[in-house]
Amino acid sequence: MAGVELQGLSKHYGDFQATEDVNLDIADGEFLVLLGPSGCGKTTTLRMIAGFIEPTKGTITVGGADVTRLPPWKRSTGLVFQNYALFPHLTVAQNVAFGLEMHKVPKAEIGGKVATALDLVQLGHLADRYPRQMSGGQQQRVALARALAFQPDVLLLDEPLSNLDAKLRHEVRHQIRNLQQRLGITTVMVTHDQEEALTMADRMVVMKDGRIQQLGTQRELYDDPASEFVASFVGRSSFIKGRFSGGRFVSHGGLAVETERRLAGEAVLALRPERIHLGADAADAASPDGSNTYRGKVASISYLGSSIDVEVKLNETDRVIAQVVNKGRESGASVGDEVSVTFPRDVPVFAASPA
Amino acid sequence: MSAHAASRPRILTATFLIGPATFIAGLGVIGPMLYLLRYSFNKYDPMELMIETFTLSNYGEFFTSPYYLGAYLTTLRVGLISTAICLVSGFPLAYVLARSASRFKNLMIIGIVVPLFVGNAVRAAGWMSFLGSRGLLSVTLMKLGLTDGPTDFMYTEGTVIVGIVAVNLPYMVLSLQSVLEGINRNVEEAAFSLGAPPLTMARRVLLPLALPGIAAGTILTFILAMNAYATPVLLGGPSFNMLAPLVYGQFQLNNWPSAAAVAFVLMATTLLLTILVAIITRQKFREG
Repeated sequence: MAGVELQGLSKHYGDFQATEDVNLDIADGEFLVLLGPSGCGKTTTLRMIAGFIEPTKGTITVGGADVTRLPPWKRSTGLVFQNYALFPHLTVAQNVAFGLEMHKVPKAEIGGKVATALDLVQLGHLADRYPRQMSGGQQQRVALARALAFQPDVLLLDEPLSNLDAKLRHEVRHQIRNLQQRLGITTVMVTHDQEEALTMADRMVVMKDGRIQQLGTQRELYDDPASEFVASFVGRSSFIKGRFSGGRFVSHGGLAVETERRLAGEAVLALRPERIHLGADAADAASPDGSNTYRGKVASISYLGSSIDVEVKLNETDRVIAQVVNKGRESGASVGDEVSVTFPRDVPVFAASPA
Repeated sequence: MSAHAASRPRILTATFLIGPATFIAGLGVIGPMLYLLRYSFNKYDPMELMIETFTLSNYGEFFTSPYYLGAYLTTLRVGLISTAICLVSGFPLAYVLARSASRFKNLMIIGIVVPLFVGNAVRAAGWMSFLGSRGLLSVTLMKLGLTDGPTDFMYTEGTVIVGIVAVNLPYMVLSLQSVLEGINRNVEEAAFSLGAPPLTMARRVLLPLALPGIAAGTILTFILAMNAYATPVLLGGPSFNMLAPLVYGQFQLNNWPSAAAVAFVLMATTLLLTILVAIITRQKFREG
């Protein structure tokens, strides 16, 4: 087991920067998730760690050893692909044994190690099946067992859940996380699904255009996003655009908002839907002094089951989405109702990104 | 009942679709072959040409005459060697083609197909102008001072093999390429990440998965090589004997029974080896 360190990792294809100056220090046994939209460089980063892409600049060290120029087969990385990539001509047991054979494990020990690895993913009883005889979820668990069997230093997961249906995704997600914690193996996962990132990671990295936007725990990224992009990509936010004048934020629609953090010039507020308080009228306001409370009209309602999204139009330009807990019949604002809306004061504020 | 009623027109359609091909195959291939098979049991007479009888003497002569046996062994040897060369040299080429993401990929494939537009005889003529004693190769070697006088590279078994490989290689490459293209690149990468160097990966993963393409390409090129006519005649010269030219020679001498017997030995051998390849690859594929 070993930590992974990426220093100034860049990959350029001509003028295109697939990744630019990626620096990451992944602790031994940590589960790090790279999150971002397609084309953000997360997969390129993962493939550089695996050795399939040679970086233009920068170094990769695993357990203190520089592996930057090593070919994939000389690195100790277990890799799990989105499309499972099992060997179709080999049985489950032979698939899992492959890595052990390549690492010159004595023949007498291979059987036992294969069984152990398959037991980890609860598939010991299907050892003699061929991949085509198994469901997607089972195949992905075999792929996981295969990647772990030869006890690599690092486990790399490339969108491992994307090909599974919603229910299976949940199951395999927990299985991967439990297994990773039990084995204490350093793991890097790539995903575009923020829910996966939030539920599985120790720390997560949000990437965009080849660069790291923010690195931190889920709580740090959710509660204190470093940029408008992070606020929109991790969780949902309603954005209010405006400018600071005299230490006070005034939206383009005319709302004056008290904020803890103060900037100068054009700025954006990012409001999480569950942190917006919705009341029947101004008297029902959440803040004791009645600040940051505005009147608005319900523009639309989305019923989500356990919660309800209420879109409130505050004026011609400012709209917010508030999430209210579904408490049954009485929590029923309807479209066109007059409501009061209260913003928290510790709302994230960013300088407006140049348009 | 309704399902039955619906299936009747379908059967009619199927009959209509398969009918013409079946008719042509029956009339044009199977019929003449049965005729030929019957001829092979007849007897040749220099005066009467063919005497209706039932004898195995044509086959007997084939397997006892050093002339026929020599040609038989040459044919087998040339067929096997040229097929092996096609496989070994075609595989890397097919792999590069299959994995290429270049925008010139289609051009490369066309480049492989283009030689098929040139007839075998024309191509053999090309080889003759290259390999003959006044050919390009000989003259170049002389000019470079590597040889003293003209060298004739023509009329050897090696020349014939080179010629046949050149004709058959595109078939092998295309058969392999289509199968290799269907193998997911991630499967190769999985093998690499599990510690397999490229050659081990090729042996343990790529080859077994490409087996259907290897079988198809091998069978196709082997059949073509066994039945080659223009190439051995033009590049092998008069003293070089393979079975297909031999069959034609016998026909020209009006010895139909002997020609028929040689033709059937050639066909049976090709068929047998082809079936063997099919069985072996199928077993391998099942085993994994």
